[in-house]
Amino acid sequence: MKTPILKAKNITKEVNSPEGVLTIVSDINLSVHQGQAISIVGPSGSGKTSLLAILAGLDLPSKGEVWLADQEITGLDEDARAQIRGEKVGFVFQSFHLLPKLSAVDNVMLPLEIKGDKQAKERALKALTRVGLQKRASHLPNQLSGGEKQRVAIARAFVTKPTILFADEPTGNLDKASSESVGELLFSINQESGTTLILVTHDPVLAGRCELTHQLDEGRIK
Amino acid sequence: MMQGLLYGIRRFPLDLKNSDLFLLFLSIVLAVSAITGVTFLGDRLRLSIKQQAAVVLAADVTLRSTAPIGAKYLSIATGEELNTAETISFLSMTLHDGNNVLSSIKATTPRYPLRGKLKLVDFDGQATGKSIGTPMRGNVWVEQSLINQLKLSKGDAITIGNERFAVSAILDDFPDRNDGFLAFAPTVIANIDDLDAMGVIQPGSRVVYRQLFSGGEKQIETFVNKLQSLPAEVRIQRIENIGQQLGRTLDRSNRFFSLAGLVTIIIAAIAAMISARRYAMRHIFNCSLMKIFGATQGFVLSSLIGQLVLMTLLATLLGVGVGWLIQYILVDLIKGIIDSDLPNPSLQPIWIALLTSSCLIIGTVAPYLQQLRISQPIRVLRNDLKLNYKSSFFINAAAIFALVFFLSILFADFSLVSTIIIGLFLVGLSLFCLGALMVKCCSFFENQTGIGWKLGLKNISKRRGESILHLVVFGLSLMALMVLTETRSDLINSWKQSLSEETPNHFFFNIQGSQLDGIADFLSPRIGQAIKFTPLIRGRLVEVNNGSNQVTDSGRMIEREANITWYDQLPENNSIVAGEWWGKEGESMQAVSVDEGVAESLSIGVGDQLTFNAGGMDLEVTVTSLRRIKWETFQPNFIFVLSPMVASELPQSFITSINIPEENDQLVDEFLSRYPTVTSIDLNSALNQIKTILNKASLAVQYMFLLALLAGALTLLATIFASADQRRYESALLHTIGAKRSKIFQSIATEFFAIGIGAGLTAAIGAVFISGFLSTQIFELNYSPNILVLTGGLIFGAICIGCVGMLAVREAVYAPPLLTLRDP
Repeated sequence: MKTPILKAKNITKEVNSPEGVLTIVSDINLSVHQGQAISIVGPSGSGKTSLLAILAGLDLPSKGEVWLADQEITGLDEDARAQIRGEKVGFVFQSFHLLPKLSAVDNVMLPLEIKGDKQAKERALKALTRVGLQKRASHLPNQLSGGEKQRVAIARAFVTKPTILFADEPTGNLDKASSESVGELLFSINQESGTTLILVTHDPVLAGRCELTHQLDEGRIK
Repeated sequence: MMQGLLYGIRRFPLDLKNSDLFLLFLSIVLAVSAITGVTFLGDRLRLSIKQQAAVVLAADVTLRSTAPIGAKYLSIATGEELNTAETISFLSMTLHDGNNVLSSIKATTPRYPLRGKLKLVDFDGQATGKSIGTPMRGNVWVEQSLINQLKLSKGDAITIGNERFAVSAILDDFPDRNDGFLAFAPTVIANIDDLDAMGVIQPGSRVVYRQLFSGGEKQIETFVNKLQSLPAEVRIQRIENIGQQLGRTLDRSNRFFSLAGLVTIIIAAIAAMISARRYAMRHIFNCSLMKIFGATQGFVLSSLIGQLVLMTLLATLLGVGVGWLIQYILVDLIKGIIDSDLPNPSLQPIWIALLTSSCLIIGTVAPYLQQLRISQPIRVLRNDLKLNYKSSFFINAAAIFALVFFLSILFADFSLVSTIIIGLFLVGLSLFCLGALMVKCCSFFENQTGIGWKLGLKNISKRRGESILHLVVFGLSLMALMVLTETRSDLINSWKQSLSEETPNHFFFNIQGSQLDGIADFLSPRIGQAIKFTPLIRGRLVEVNNGSNQVTDSGRMIEREANITWYDQLPENNSIVAGEWWGKEGESMQAVSVDEGVAESLSIGVGDQLTFNAGGMDLEVTVTSLRRIKWETFQPNFIFVLSPMVASELPQSFITSINIPEENDQLVDEFLSRYPTVTSIDLNSALNQIKTILNKASLAVQYMFLLALLAGALTLLATIFASADQRRYESALLHTIGAKRSKIFQSIATEFFAIGIGAGLTAAIGAVFISGFLSTQIFELNYSPNILVLTGGLIFGAICIGCVGMLAVREAVYAPPLLTLRDP
């Protein structure tokens, strides 16, 4: 049997609050195989984004382990996790999170520059061409529509050829038409590159395109 | 690490274009400009004092004696490769065509003067072009006043002693003009080799022998060290001892430049702090995002350091350039008052500038670097991009303190720097307390007013930390500017007062007691002033405490004949710094009051016994007070003042100083012809020279003030940008839910005007204390609060801060709210 590319074992995340200890996610177990697309759905406040952050190594669980590409990332320090993210992980966010003072191509170049890629610009332009924004390469984020910003974000996520892509509500800030075209783009590039996709969404249509959907409620997978 | 560094450098031009890094850059440029300007200027002013004093001596060092000095010292000087010259001066009658005038004859060697220049003109008023030298044998150069008095014309000759001399040029100006008792008479310069032929110097003649020396600083120092055991009658004069008036004036302006420089740097540091905070806030997002994409802490840190190092270097370079420009302008001003070229400035200010900018960057940005380095990537998802205030506040404070410590070493003026630090600390603390109180009050009032006011006051209490920070920052900047404005006004006013139209420009002495009424009756109606006479006693300080304690007589005060006076009342320009003035008890006290500087050099204190020899007898007196004298007043001032009981019966003459308008100059001739035994010193040329210097110094002060104002403007600008983002978003939100623009403006105005008034009020109170302390203790000026500056500062500050707040969000208030909300 193939080893899962991502494996979560008994993940629990607790935080201190004025009301006492608050459990955000509780005892989560899941496995995701290479090339698989899974979605995590659930109401607001159910812990979707927190779970995504833990799976991607952006945050650490209070209990449990996360294995990413045969490596236990929960035991690593922030720098080691950053290195793994740089090599294997891509991200798409609900609020796009483009750097406002950088042009579209500069935003796409960012993860390549961090890796020290000498052909960052060429690769970034190619990625922009793939998302249909080659003519908007020099535009600043505030000169782009919401849909275009998310396309730039998708180009930035795929430009490093990640093994696994985490998408947090990628269509959450878009209108219907833009949502559909961004969703289409995300899945088509995912299929082309054989990337594993972990998708957090409210959108049942988008979730329906994944092979597997996990329903999260009050921090637990149902 | 290297990758991060390169990434940071590559991104630098783009980041510099952004307002936050650019404002930080500007703050550093301004601070560096101030420090280099002040450092360069300090050098220049010290040099100009030296140059000016050297002109007064016509040399760097002179030996002066009333007996021939001998060739010993000249040969030591030649050994040290110094330039030498000699002058022999005495009073003698000059005669022409039956007229005779008592003149000051100065016989010189060919290299005279060693410093400064001679200005010679012919009988047609044309400059001869000769600026150094002595007349050919058989010739003399004479002053215009002698030409007038002897009615000389071209080709005429005058007789001095046994010899006739052709008048070959008119002496328009020359250095070492004010040489004691000889200065009152018109000067004649003759060749030293003609002295014997004149035959006027006889045993007992009153003659001043001077040997002049000039050369490099080190050689001069070595030479002076070799002169340790000079005979009592030989006095050494160095440029450091000359020109007290000039020195004090320039010393004060130098201190003002230091103050202005310090204030500029502190305000620029405040601007840098605000800009650095915004830079950090913006970069928390950038850094967290970079970490999501795989950047390590080392990468993030090195990219930031790369940018900051590059920015510091560029800002330092530009700042040094601006500093050079400032010094160039100021040197140009000074050049007008000194003749010789100044040497090129050293490279030292560049290192100082680099140290300042590094301190500033480390002090303002370093606290945030750690926060940026360890910023968690999860913060992007949580939209949690706030800075940790408390940790950075203390690091900021510590770093700024380190900067001020560095500045105090740099400015080498501990009293000035410590006053500023303590003042800033106390006012900062008061502002902090006031801020906390204000936040409390606002939360109380916010439920009792209209919506605009309510929102504004709510903003103050809601953003507690930020409101207090604003109050402290605005208050400190305003106070620094108020202090500077007040001190500048006091300084310039004191200069104007010390050299007003009424400043005495003539000294008359050798007045006998029997002449007092007649002279007063003659002069008083003609000049419209009451004439005050001061007694003048020639005497000698013989011993301190009957010779029982060792004293350091660096000024060679003991055994030297000095002018002494007596007063029953403390003179106007004197103040007591130790002991008490005798008042009416002076009639029955054997007392003396001593200048504090001389007392220090002779280790004299209140209660010590001094022995004077005057009028052929020894007088034992007790020191009952030490005085601080305002030497710059052009009034007769005395180092030793005796009580009436000791001195009123001693043989004495009188001296007076009066102002005779230049258009009434013939009055002096008229007076001297009526009282030929009275001698006069014309101070007009010296006064004019000092007035020119003061005007230039005043102008230089304004330039430095301008720099501080620029720093103040930059702080406000930094504040505009620092609070713009958040307010823009909030305004858009308010606008979206239906708030009218006028109400939004009202809320912003309420918030900022309230902070502005609080800051202005505290700043004004703080400024009164600090200015008062600076004026009286550091600048030695009288201080009375300048109501115009303080109220003006308060109103201007409140208006400026209010307007800045409104400007900060004006664009957002008018922008479609959707844009702001969609793309925060």
